[in-house]
Amino acid sequence: MTEPIIKVHGLHKYFGPLHVIKGVDLEVMPREVVVIIGPSGAGKSTFLRCLNFLEEPSDGTVEIDGVEIRAREPGREHRRRIQEIRQKAGMVFQQFNLFPHMTALGNIIEAPITVKKMPEEKAIAKAEELLAWVGLSEKRDEYPSRLSGGQQQRVAIARALAMEPKIMLFDEPTSALDPELIGEVVEVMERLANEGMTMVVVTHEMHFARDVADRIIFMDEGVWVEMGPPDELLTNPKEERTKRFLAHIL
Amino acid sequence: MDISTGSHLPLSRAMKLLCLLVALTAGLSLLYGIQYYAGGPLRLAVTSPVYDLAVSGDGNLVAAGAQDGAIRLWNIANGWNMLTLAGHTGPVTGVAFDSSASTLFSVGQDGKVLIWDVQTVLSAGSTGGQAKKVLATADGPLNSLAVAANGSLLATIGKDGIVRVWDPESGQVLQAIGPGESTKLAVALSHDGTLVAAGDGEQIQIWEARTGISLHRLEGYVEGEETEGQPGQGEKVTALAFSPDGNYLASGSDGGTVLIWDIEKSKVAWATKGHLASVTKVVFDASSEYLLSSGADNYVRRWRVSGGKFAGLFGGHLGTVTSVAFGADADTIISGGSDGSVRLWDGVNQLERHLVWTRLGLMPVWGTVLAAWMLGSGLLGLVLAWGLWRVHTWGHLGSLALYTIGPLFSIVLPLLETTAYPISWSVRLNIAWPLILLLVWYIFLVAYIRHDAIAIPYQAPEATSLAEQLMAARRSGNIRFGLFVMATWLFIFILLFSVLRRFGLDIAFMRKWLPFIMGGAGLTMFISAAAIALATILALIGALARLSNNPAANGISGFYISLIRGTPLLVQIFIWYLALPQLGITLEPKLAGILALGVNYGAYMTEIFRAGIQAIGIGQYEAAHALGMSSSQTFRRIVMPQALRIVIPPIGNEFIAMMKDSALVSMITVQELTFRAQKLGRQNFRNLETFLIAAAFYWILTIVFQFFQGKLETYMARGERR
Repeated sequence: MTEPIIKVHGLHKYFGPLHVIKGVDLEVMPREVVVIIGPSGAGKSTFLRCLNFLEEPSDGTVEIDGVEIRAREPGREHRRRIQEIRQKAGMVFQQFNLFPHMTALGNIIEAPITVKKMPEEKAIAKAEELLAWVGLSEKRDEYPSRLSGGQQQRVAIARALAMEPKIMLFDEPTSALDPELIGEVVEVMERLANEGMTMVVVTHEMHFARDVADRIIFMDEGVWVEMGPPDELLTNPKEERTKRFLAHIL
Repeated sequence: MDISTGSHLPLSRAMKLLCLLVALTAGLSLLYGIQYYAGGPLRLAVTSPVYDLAVSGDGNLVAAGAQDGAIRLWNIANGWNMLTLAGHTGPVTGVAFDSSASTLFSVGQDGKVLIWDVQTVLSAGSTGGQAKKVLATADGPLNSLAVAANGSLLATIGKDGIVRVWDPESGQVLQAIGPGESTKLAVALSHDGTLVAAGDGEQIQIWEARTGISLHRLEGYVEGEETEGQPGQGEKVTALAFSPDGNYLASGSDGGTVLIWDIEKSKVAWATKGHLASVTKVVFDASSEYLLSSGADNYVRRWRVSGGKFAGLFGGHLGTVTSVAFGADADTIISGGSDGSVRLWDGVNQLERHLVWTRLGLMPVWGTVLAAWMLGSGLLGLVLAWGLWRVHTWGHLGSLALYTIGPLFSIVLPLLETTAYPISWSVRLNIAWPLILLLVWYIFLVAYIRHDAIAIPYQAPEATSLAEQLMAARRSGNIRFGLFVMATWLFIFILLFSVLRRFGLDIAFMRKWLPFIMGGAGLTMFISAAAIALATILALIGALARLSNNPAANGISGFYISLIRGTPLLVQIFIWYLALPQLGITLEPKLAGILALGVNYGAYMTEIFRAGIQAIGIGQYEAAHALGMSSSQTFRRIVMPQALRIVIPPIGNEFIAMMKDSALVSMITVQELTFRAQKLGRQNFRNLETFLIAAAFYWILTIVFQFFQGKLETYMARGERR
């Protein structure tokens, strides 16, 4: 049996007096796709952002691909490890967060060149490959403002992939999209999963959860309420809260 | 909806009438405007520049020698009745009466000396009659004439540089002195006829008239006065006159200096930089109390002989004042100019009392051209009015009314003048060019009306969509609006120019000193650019400090902003330049100016930068961080470029404001635009001209920079949704 690529232990997050994540553990195997669902305010996004330290956890440890970081141990080494983890974990945001002053290509090559010191030609070749992969070759030189939401999110996925991450974190990637544009993003995510990417996805896209996820976690009030394979959890939830939530959205 | 005829309401009868009225006014005023600028129907006369004039002792007769070879004789007592005396075949360069006004003498470039009997001439009527005697000289043009008071002796100087003393009775040349070396313009004869003086380069020689014995040599400069720029030094004599009492000799030079010499002592009694350009004539009054000088600076000045006190300025000539003389008394002054006018001045009030022209007659060719011009522009105006009728709206009528104001002013303003401008080709063109511009504009406008259906409401092409038709109609409207806006600008310019010209704007002076003032524009640009660079650096540091969590940095930044924004820029400039030396820090004026401006604007721009940086959303930081970028990489690559795009327009505004505020550093002797304008204006009493030039440069710099700022903004805004 291989080692888990993500190991989270005893993760807590406080926002002042607010206890948002109340000590959760998680282990994700390579090539596994984990989908986190739950009502808003449950702490799903916060948990995801704690994984690459966009939010600093208040307690607990996070280990990604062998790089372990403990909370509350600030210092140079801490910051170095955060950088390392961030390079291993690509992230896709609800609001895309493309850099508006750069073209699609510019967005994708930015991090490889500045962070990985990749030669420009190589970065461009790689970026063009990725653009083709997300089906946006012809939008290479367009600025984000001239792209639809779905196209922007696909560029954002390509941008994250350009860093050749070991895992991908998706924070509600389809929530800001018009309904008819969701499909194209979900399709890219499905292909990514099929190609063996380890993914942690926070989403309300139940089709994706059902078809692609290896495991679904239902989260509420900062804790895992229930966890299991999609067939089991979606069709036959054990917990009352899960049932109520599913009844609400399905 | 019917687009093809426009979406306008039908015209009311009153509005139609108004439209016609406005159009009529426009056409008429245009015609009159043209006439004004070109000389007008009553002014289609050509004048001849006056070269010299003389007034009889009783002040009743004025004789003026002119370029066309005729002498005009006006009888002031008889309502300025004019006689034309024809006798010379070239320009008349000198005229003089004897003291009893019974004889008139004249010399010309034809080399002749003519002697006229005044009574005969006056009784001969307007044809003028013949000269009594012709003393010819074969030795070329004569430039100046001097006559002894009793008319018994004449002195002339010619282009050959020889001073000749004549006996008018016999017609003999008694003495021929010279030739002198350089100046051939001035000769003077003492009233008793004993002394003759002529300028010879930088010195003046006085001879005994009948014998030709050299008596005095006046040279040397004012003793005990300032050594630098001493009057008289290196300048050539252009005018000479003996005082009637024989004590003094007055001289004028090509540098504008007027000197009074004490003949006995062979010394300068007093000197003044009387004129801004060459002195053309000096003359004493009968009591030797006052001296008049005329100059190429278009002015006549009066001086007190004892002490050289300035005693009056007479301005109004449109060109060089070539000659001047006292009338019946020291307060009656008569001057003649290259504009072809002879003017009578009231010396007490320093006002122009009368003006006459040396008129030649109508110019048929020019008149025809003018008439055609009037007809053409009148038609153009009507076409324009018709076009406006078709797309009538109150707004357009308003614009049209505005057009009529400009030309209307050009009628009213000349009506305020007693009479017309003189008409020399260069002057005419010089004055008429705004109107030529106007005409070109009208032609352009009307051509456009035909071309783009500006006035003719948009005709819908077939088989296009309603949307396209609407767009086209709208575009046509936009173009029309733009043209009207441009026309309005143009009219404001013409109006402004006309008014300033009317109040004596000295174009020649502006042209002469333009390069000098322009020399300051580079420094203005340099100071502004250096200061804005400093300000940008300070603002960036200040903004980062202001946004940082470090209380010390935040405090320092806050203090800086508060201090600088709370004190006047002028005070800051003085502190940098005048107060710091007390602390042992002495700065170059330029450096002090740059530091003061840069530090001042840095404080204001800190807030701009802070706002720009704060405007970048948290999502951008998160996205960059999630990609593994460090804080500094994120700031440099992601935040700064976006913040810059936000702050560029306000920084451009700051730069423009700075360019204007840089005028303040003229206070600390930095020789930029304003300093130069101020200096020059004060020296020459031409503040309007110099500051107009300076203002124009600031304006041009601002406009040019705004253009480039627009380009930069477009570049920076790429990727932004339009």
